[in-house]
Amino acid sequence: MESNPGAHRLTSVVFRYGLAVILVAAALGVTSLLQNVVSTAGYLFFYIAVVVTTWFGGRWPGGLAVVLSALSVAYFFTPPIHSLTVDRQSLPVFIEFAASSVVVGWFSSWRRQAEAELRYARDELQLRVAERTAELTHSNVQLLAEIAERKRAEEAYYEAQAELARVTRLSAMGALAASISHEVNQPLAAVVTNADACMMWLSSDPPNLEEARAAVDCIAQQGTRASDVVRHIRAMFTKATPERTRLQVNDLIREVGILIEGAALRNQVQIETELAPDLPATTLGDRVQLQQVIVNLIVNGIEAMSDVADRPRRLVISSRMQSSDELLIAVRDSGVGIAAKDEKRIFDAFFTTKSQGMGMGLSISHSIIEAHGGRLWASRNSDYGATLQFTLPADREITA
Amino acid sequence: MKDSDPIVFVVDDDASVRDAVQRLIASVGLRVQTFGSTREFLSSKRPEAPACLVLDVRLPDSSGLELQDDLAQANVHIPIIFITGHADVPMTVRAMKAGAVEFLTKPFRGQELLDAIQQAIAKDRAAWNERAQMSELRGRYESLTPREKEVLKLVTSGLLNKQIGAELGTSELTIKTHRGHVMEKMGAESLADLVKMSERLNRSDAMSK
Repeated sequence: MESNPGAHRLTSVVFRYGLAVILVAAALGVTSLLQNVVSTAGYLFFYIAVVVTTWFGGRWPGGLAVVLSALSVAYFFTPPIHSLTVDRQSLPVFIEFAASSVVVGWFSSWRRQAEAELRYARDELQLRVAERTAELTHSNVQLLAEIAERKRAEEAYYEAQAELARVTRLSAMGALAASISHEVNQPLAAVVTNADACMMWLSSDPPNLEEARAAVDCIAQQGTRASDVVRHIRAMFTKATPERTRLQVNDLIREVGILIEGAALRNQVQIETELAPDLPATTLGDRVQLQQVIVNLIVNGIEAMSDVADRPRRLVISSRMQSSDELLIAVRDSGVGIAAKDEKRIFDAFFTTKSQGMGMGLSISHSIIEAHGGRLWASRNSDYGATLQFTLPADREITA
Repeated sequence: MKDSDPIVFVVDDDASVRDAVQRLIASVGLRVQTFGSTREFLSSKRPEAPACLVLDVRLPDSSGLELQDDLAQANVHIPIIFITGHADVPMTVRAMKAGAVEFLTKPFRGQELLDAIQQAIAKDRAAWNERAQMSELRGRYESLTPREKEVLKLVTSGLLNKQIGAELGTSELTIKTHRGHVMEKMGAESLADLVKMSERLNRSDAMSK
């Protein structure tokens, strides 16, 4: 393999110079034949030999062809014939021939080089185009990968956010429940223990009425204390409306939509919104609480569809004016729906049909909507699933 | 009531629960002493009698579980009954592992608490008697002379008088005299009795180490 290029170059050199010799010889033959037919045939074929040699063989074989042609013409065609000398009379013609063939050879060589350069430039251009195309393809692939990665990251982000919201809600409720149970259990413990002590004092012989009376007194006191605790908690829930800002219901829904995207994707639920485009009115309310209600309804809807396999899992969130002074927000799912026997109880605290539910979501949502002066109710759809909807009072002042 | 009568200590920060528990315990004729915090309990002078502790888990200064640990550290062995507003499993496990008698969740029935108290006091009384016997036994042992202690050790390890004499470099007769004194001072009626006493002493030595 190593010697091949060298050998190739050698044969190429032999071929190129050989070409000069052969073509000049051929030109000599043809010109001699013509000379026999017409007295002066001219040296056209020598020119052709020079041009062709230069074209295919290059500059130096071309030069050789010029020299050989000049020698042939001097020897065979210019008097004295069969001598390399040229007599005075034929000298101008010979010089003219020699000069012409040099010029023709040089011109041909120049053309050849120009064309080679052109070809080289074209090849170079093609190569560059191919390289650039490859680069573009590569960066396109990279871009697509980056887009996919970004989408994944965004999804993870929303998922984390939704999870955080859920955990925050749960842990806040857990802490609240622990605190409530402690606050209520304390007086209850006193009541039960006093009642038992009272029984003991009454059944002792003789009965100690004084101690028994003191115990009953304490029972009454502690009963009142327990009811105070309960009233206090209720007040905390119902009166605690720290924020009352003007809210655009459609904005609320859109913001919640972002939070819920991850969960919908994970559960293969298609979420659609049918928002009245020009809801004229805003509502006064607590942004976080109302969003909590919407999230709750959506999550319930998604969970109600988790076992649905024979029809699309579709959740539609819509908003519209219910009447001139009421906004309506509805969440409609294609899930398992609500059993007739459960219809009245779904808003009760601690009522749940879910294996891991606390039964607090709808109950709290109900309280929140009522605290906002609205209503929350559920209905069965004519085909599948349920619709949970609530109204909020429209705030007209801002639009006027 | 006498100073040696059993007594129940109640530690709960909630006065209403504390009073109710006191009233209940008093109704069965037991002595009660109540405290609002663990610090109050620790700084009080407690009578020397069989006792038990009714302890709320959630207390303002340090939790009942911490008090349980502190008492164990201070080598104060008093049976504990925990009462709590809301118990979780790890809390219960920790308390029971550390030797609590009972773990009651508020609200509890009076009888449950009284039963637990009786059980705890019985346990403490047994421990109390055990401690009293031990201190009596230790007193007797300490009244022995060094030579008598040596003889006691060798006798209870099963050697004959002759062998003991050879070991200690004295006559069999001297050993016999020592042995008589040991039996008398320790209040042992037989060799078997003496062996048992010696074993109890050794066991308590090993335990206190």
